[in-house]
Amino acid sequence: MRRTILTLLAVLLVVVAAGGAGLASGRGGDSTVTRARLERSLPQVFANNYVRMTHLLGRHDVTPASLHAQAMCDKHGPDVADVGPGGDWTCLMSWTDPEVPMPPEGYGKFELNVHANDCYTAGGPSKLVGFLTITDQRGNDVDNPVFEFDGCFDPSSSNEATGVLFPSLLSVTSPSVAPDPRGRIGVQVTCGTGSDGCAGTVSASADGSSLGAQPFSMKEEAPDTIVFDRPLPAAATEVTLTFTATTGVGPPKPVTLPVS
Amino acid sequence: MIAAVRWELRKLRAQLRAKAVLLAALVGPVPIVLVIHGQSRPPKDSLFGRFATDNGFALSLLVLGFAAQWVLPLLTAIVAGDIFASEDQHGTWKTVLTRSTSRSRLFWAKVLVAAGFAVVTVAVLAAATVLASLVIVGRQPLVGLSGQTIDPSSALRLVAASWATTLPPVLGFTGLAVLLSVWSRNPAVGIAAPVVLGMVMQLVGALGGLDPARQGLLTTPFDAWHGLMTSPRFTGPLTQGLAVSAVWSVAALAAAYVLFRRRDITGG
Repeated sequence: MRRTILTLLAVLLVVVAAGGAGLASGRGGDSTVTRARLERSLPQVFANNYVRMTHLLGRHDVTPASLHAQAMCDKHGPDVADVGPGGDWTCLMSWTDPEVPMPPEGYGKFELNVHANDCYTAGGPSKLVGFLTITDQRGNDVDNPVFEFDGCFDPSSSNEATGVLFPSLLSVTSPSVAPDPRGRIGVQVTCGTGSDGCAGTVSASADGSSLGAQPFSMKEEAPDTIVFDRPLPAAATEVTLTFTATTGVGPPKPVTLPVS
Repeated sequence: MIAAVRWELRKLRAQLRAKAVLLAALVGPVPIVLVIHGQSRPPKDSLFGRFATDNGFALSLLVLGFAAQWVLPLLTAIVAGDIFASEDQHGTWKTVLTRSTSRSRLFWAKVLVAAGFAVVTVAVLAAATVLASLVIVGRQPLVGLSGQTIDPSSALRLVAASWATTLPPVLGFTGLAVLLSVWSRNPAVGIAAPVVLGMVMQLVGALGGLDPARQGLLTTPFDAWHGLMTSPRFTGPLTQGLAVSAVWSVAALAAAYVLFRRRDITGG
């Protein structure tokens, strides 16, 4: 009897200790992988790797602090809580390098694969960080430290929101426009990862005649088709779209699409 | 007690299996290091894999990450999972327990020898891996888990410390193997079951939605060294891992002790 009680006590001890440890560091049972922790960790890891890349290229004009890197992270679109491991994390990050200006939207998009053990692999946007290999100052091809890099964060680091927000980027996905039987055209657009989605108006013109203006409003990471009611002139070969975004960032210059 | 330990050590020395494990820990890392060093594409899927082909410190940490998955539990289980059950296998309990030593003294002697073997094996494996990596690949500055550059002398200390952090969970597995050895009276169960349990724990730990359970798993402390390789360092997982390993060891040994004390050996 005494031994049975001892065994039971031992089992109970394991369960209580495991549960207690879990509660203590899991903050009520949630995953330690959170948006705020990634937003703090990624810019720091990125900045160190970026400076290493500039050193490989023979530049010594940037430091991790001078980059002022900051990130906004999101897991799997607007309708999913930004917590937990997975390969569906994206982080928008901005930094200051005098030789590599940011695009008009002000950030580059990083894709992260985050593991339950608080470590992750991040891949950078090629147009801002370059490709898999770079040529160092001695002429050797070496791995680009910021094309893909690993990082780990402290599971008990601050989970306060960082307050870093970036606008969504609206982009046109249709390669061309095709009028329907009534001569109307529809243009496919997508709203990228960002803080509040995309809204505004878009006006279209073809061969100098206006097709009118249409409002648009969509959530982040969503596609939409904008339809213009006025029919396209029969002889038109091109349509020019001009975006005015009130939320998010639209294409800075008018977009011209051929008529198919 | 010392006499009992000495007898257990003598039995261990006579075992081909124990000698083979130590020899494998000593020599095994050399071909592994040679093969990884010879790869044209580094194994980027694992931490430090992307630097492993041209950095000795990274290579020894890559091997550490791999060893923690099942090699370390296996190395300790080969002795700890067998040390009680082999007496069943050979039918020698009656002989052993009629010697002038108490049951509890015999229990702790066996546990002590199993734990000592685990510590020695991990130390040999760590030393052999680090030495082979540094001699074959070299002592280049290491890129840490915050992207920071770590100079070779600090890197050596951190790599050695990282290997040392596997000792608490390894001793947890020693306890688990002892428990399974006592309970099953079967060396095969005592050796294989801790490894299988370790793999199940890895699987549970990799799932996203089970974080509280993850913190209590015996395999989670195997990841605690990550905090040593970041800048600034974090040691929360290390202290937590120490506590979790201690709870597993104590609980497993307590259960094994109870089972062993109440066991009736008169039947065979």
